[in-house]
Amino acid sequence: MVDQPLWEQIGSSFVQHYYQMFDSDRSLLGSIYIDSSCLTWEGEPYQGKIAIVEKLTSLPFTKIAHSITAQDHQPTPDNCILSMVVGQLKADEDQIIGFHQSFILKNINDAWVCTNDMFRLAIHNFG
Amino acid sequence: MAEKQIWQKIGESFIQEYYNQFDNTNRMDIANLYSPVACLTWEGSPVQGREAIAAKLVGLPFKRIKHVITEQDFQPTMDNCILIMAFGQLQADDDPPMAFHQVFMLKFQDNAWVCTNDVFRLGIHNIPV
Repeated sequence: MVDQPLWEQIGSSFVQHYYQMFDSDRSLLGSIYIDSSCLTWEGEPYQGKIAIVEKLTSLPFTKIAHSITAQDHQPTPDNCILSMVVGQLKADEDQIIGFHQSFILKNINDAWVCTNDMFRLAIHNFG
Repeated sequence: MAEKQIWQKIGESFIQEYYNQFDNTNRMDIANLYSPVACLTWEGSPVQGREAIAAKLVGLPFKRIKHVITEQDFQPTMDNCILIMAFGQLQADDDPPMAFHQVFMLKFQDNAWVCTNDVFRLGIHNIPV
């Protein structure tokens, strides 16, 4: 089997790691954001690692599980990686809902960090 | 209310132009919105370069298409690009409407904002179990 392109390897590794941390202990997510990171969570903007981690750790559920249906990865002209994820999630005993999330990853000081993150539940597709 | 940020204005303008060309033209000129080396991933299939992207979009198998955008998010990136996420529904010919989700990255090149990255997926993957 042909080796996956590098951006796919990095992207899918990041995605796996991200949701693993999210579903087990969201305070660990600080490791993947930097001070210049932007998050748009359900249309609301958050700027910088501290604000982002505060938002994510204060989300109002006890249990959360993500299931990835599909993920796409592309290299960008500035040597970043664009990743788009489509999947489903279940928070506590709520019903399963679809979600969409996009990330931009950048290599800074030999580590791939997330500089841009956009999340939306799939309830928005039908206005 | 705060004035819109510049990246939001540019992003909104691009989205409007893109879906207008997509829905209301034969898509022959849509290639002009992309950079020569742009990447498109269409329902998981990669398409590389403006010519191949144009061929893909012109060759899509429907006579009529309409997109309705219900939400759009915009962010600036560290390399002065603009990241856009668009949600909505589309209807091709007389098929039932379907949810879709599309991500674009725009870069300022040769005096214009062009699309360097485009990822499109239908929302059929999200049907709750």
